[in-house]
Amino acid sequence: MTTATATPAPRSLDSIRLSFPGLIRSEWIKLRSLRSTVWCYVLIILATAGFSVLMALSANFGGDDLPQAAQNSMVAQYLTVGGNFTGLIAAVLGVLVISGEYTTGMIRTTYTAAPGRLSAYTAKALVLTVVTFIVGLISVVAALAASIPVFALNGVSPDLSNPDVLIALIGSAGYLALIALLSFSFGAILRNSAGGIATAVGMLFVLPVGINIVYSFTGATWAANIATILPGSVGAALYQYNGEGTEAAPAVGFNADGILVLDQAWMLIIFAAWIVLGLVAGAILTKRRDA
Amino acid sequence: MIELQHLSKRYGSKLAVDDISATIRPGMVTGFLGPNGAGKSTTMRMIVGLDHPTSGSATVNGRRYQNSAAPLHEVGALLEAKAVHTGRSAQNHLLALAATHGIPKKRVHEVIEMTGLGSVARKRVGGFSLGMGQRLGIAAALLGDPHTLILDEPVNGLDPEGVLWVRRLTRQLADEGRTVFLSSHLMSEMAQTADHVIVLGRGKIIADAPMTDIIAASTGNLVHVRTPQTADLARLLTAPDVSVTSRENGLLEVSGIDARQIGESAASHGIVLHELTPVNASLEDAYLQLTNDAVEYRTEEVR
Ligand SMILES: Nc1ncnc2c1ncn2[C@@H]1O[C@H](COP(=O)(O)OP(=O)(O)O)[C@@H](O)[C@H]1O
Ligand SMILES: [Mg+2]
Repeated sequence: MTTATATPAPRSLDSIRLSFPGLIRSEWIKLRSLRSTVWCYVLIILATAGFSVLMALSANFGGDDLPQAAQNSMVAQYLTVGGNFTGLIAAVLGVLVISGEYTTGMIRTTYTAAPGRLSAYTAKALVLTVVTFIVGLISVVAALAASIPVFALNGVSPDLSNPDVLIALIGSAGYLALIALLSFSFGAILRNSAGGIATAVGMLFVLPVGINIVYSFTGATWAANIATILPGSVGAALYQYNGEGTEAAPAVGFNADGILVLDQAWMLIIFAAWIVLGLVAGAILTKRRDA
Repeated sequence: MIELQHLSKRYGSKLAVDDISATIRPGMVTGFLGPNGAGKSTTMRMIVGLDHPTSGSATVNGRRYQNSAAPLHEVGALLEAKAVHTGRSAQNHLLALAATHGIPKKRVHEVIEMTGLGSVARKRVGGFSLGMGQRLGIAAALLGDPHTLILDEPVNGLDPEGVLWVRRLTRQLADEGRTVFLSSHLMSEMAQTADHVIVLGRGKIIADAPMTDIIAASTGNLVHVRTPQTADLARLLTAPDVSVTSRENGLLEVSGIDARQIGESAASHGIVLHELTPVNASLEDAYLQLTNDAVEYRTEEVR
């Protein structure tokens, strides 16, 4: 291998500065230059579209003449039902975006370039969230494109100008983005891919089910109430469909059996609290610990 | 210029760096020499803010590295362990790094050429050899055209040609007026690269001197003299700045006076000499002596 000696750098480098827009660009380059990230996103789009077609095939099996409100509700709910699976992918991705830097040592390069650390941490979280949201939107569009003809065969055609339908669909993209963001905070706290993924998947998808099983066997209301406030449970509020024909919001609080009942607003507040908690803990540890 | 002031780092019960103070000046290559585990890498990580000092401080050009407006233009660092995501190509790694400071793409291609990575720049770093990884680390360090370079064991894993290249490169960077601080656990490497050396052992500075002084001090001329009349010769040579020791019967080790003078004195007093040999203690010997008390992981003596 031949190597030239150093040529003096252009004088223009005297004016370079570390900047937040620069960190955003850097994180965007990092995100798209890893195969694993790209594959996660492709998988999210394919899975959303695939699920929607499967659901559309079974929609309105009786071939009834449905009122428009029922058709809207059906499409909004069937299109977001894949959220559990795609949320899982988003969670893994969110953890890996940060834990991968710790396990490979890349984090040292990142924090040497941005020694304040929190600006890089914020840029990374922001890029992850925005890109995942956009991928979520693309998934929804792909799902609509793939499933609307199939729904139509079963006599179901949604009114896409209906704001309730749109809010639920856009909300499903937001759910993916925020699941990724919350998982990112787990990755930042644990700095380890296996631990981060186990925690994220556990908190979001396994514990709610697991605790509900405990509840069904023991009848312990505390178990049910914990399951209710876990991020995986409250996060679903993001793609909840509130159009005509859905049930009225329940009364918030503990019901006669001591079971916690939340409405959509409270679910969103608790979900946001989880994210803030995770991100703040991650930021404090990021700043404090040796890299 | 790098200034270390009473810098210490403790990991649990282990004091990795123990109250060191030193100034690393621009325009020369300063070597940071010490056996494995001496605390070199820890010190370097503290300079760039990756590890928080337990006490004391490190500044670069008068301020903490964390307060620089353009950290990559201030310091270029090659850290010991690979600090690259294995799934990314070398080029994308450098492009992402360059983006943080708005460094033009042209400069990325320049450092790729400069470090001889042209043919592998688009390959994933995971498949790189140790030497390639070092070259990429050096490319990243040079990217921001930094005033100060911190290179932790830069020749590790490089082929002989690469070693020469690093030597020439560090010399050139120092000649351009930059501060160059590089570590090694090999004295021979340092002797050929550094103008000034800071020797570290068990977290403490053992020596901080120009390379020439270290070499002179360590290779103070020693002469082996074999004679049947050791007592007579020893008496004859004794003087304030001459030291005479005897390790085995019939052999004297004399320092502070050269072989020619010993031979002439012996001849004029009729003392028979069987051997008269100037011995150059090797640099490695000197280094081992210097750090003897401070070796962290002593290899088991082979018997
Ligand atoms: N992150 C760490 N945690 C615990 N101990 C460490 C850590 N980094 C270094 N050490 C210990 O500190 C000492 C100095 O290590 P290091 O700075 O790597 O030495 P050198 O680079 O001179 O070989 C060693 O005993 C090492 O085991
Ligand atoms: Mg080291």
